[in-house]
Amino acid sequence: MANTKVAIIAANGTLFDAYKVFNLATAAAASDAEVGIFFTFEGLNLIHKEAHKNLPLPVGKEHFGEGFKQANVPSIEELAGIAQELGIRLIGCQMTMDVMNLEKDAFIDGIEVGGAATFMEYAKDADITLSF
Amino acid sequence: MSITVNETLDARGLACPMPIVKTKKAITNLQPGQVIEVQATDKGSAADIKAWASSTGHQYLGTIEKENVLKHYIRKATDEETKVETKHEEIINLEELRSKINGDESIIILDVRESAEFTFGHIDGAVNIPLGELDQRFSEIDKDKEINVICRTGNRSDLAAQKLTEKGFKNVKNVLPGMSKWEGPTEKVIKNY
Repeated sequence: MANTKVAIIAANGTLFDAYKVFNLATAAAASDAEVGIFFTFEGLNLIHKEAHKNLPLPVGKEHFGEGFKQANVPSIEELAGIAQELGIRLIGCQMTMDVMNLEKDAFIDGIEVGGAATFMEYAKDADITLSF
Repeated sequence: MSITVNETLDARGLACPMPIVKTKKAITNLQPGQVIEVQATDKGSAADIKAWASSTGHQYLGTIEKENVLKHYIRKATDEETKVETKHEEIINLEELRSKINGDESIIILDVRESAEFTFGHIDGAVNIPLGELDQRFSEIDKDKEINVICRTGNRSDLAAQKLTEKGFKNVKNVLPGMSKWEGPTEKVIKNY
């Protein structure tokens, strides 16, 4: 997948959403694709220093918590670190951060901050675009 | 008995996408042409490792399942495979080789691929001496017979054929293109593992 560009929008903040985003992103990057993720609205929780350590299961799906433990899936904190090691661009949405009154230092180190145009510029020639 | 590999990665107990992510990291440290064994218990890894190899250009050799552990074998990509220029003059194509195998003359088929590649499919009766071990193992080869050297695409066998000729072997042929295009019957030896 060298020369393949993947653009992902993460707009939701449950544990399910986080795995969808980070599993596909890291698998793509490990396959040599260029990957960028735009975190907006509740998706910002996925890269929030504290929130991403304890993301909620979707309402009514709390019983899956045990399954996550048994399947030995990596934590979201761990996956976010792996994503960065693999060179994935993590872009926080400036507008959402303003609305929620959050500063860049509330998020994990190494993220970029940008607006809708930043993501569009990145995604305009993407081969794969995913939205979660 | 085990398959000779350059690196073994223990990804047992890990869920998707970790086997892939760990394999990606581990293969970075290998030399082109070297072989890695990835041990995993994630059942999805069987399809994933194969797909990953195909998207990254590495060569997926095969998978052995033993005691609920999947052992995947991958050979790191090398540009040698894309070159088609060979130097050894005596060459033979696959069709000619097949008729020789079915003929009366006793010939040697010397397969110089890595042992893991050999394990997952080779011509019945072929002898495996990986190119990297050839210098130490000339004495195992009968000088009086015709030696047909084969690899995957004809490049390693070309180098091996040159080495054998330098060592005084007279009747050495490079089989072109190689196992990648071989359509005859193949043997596997995985039952031994």
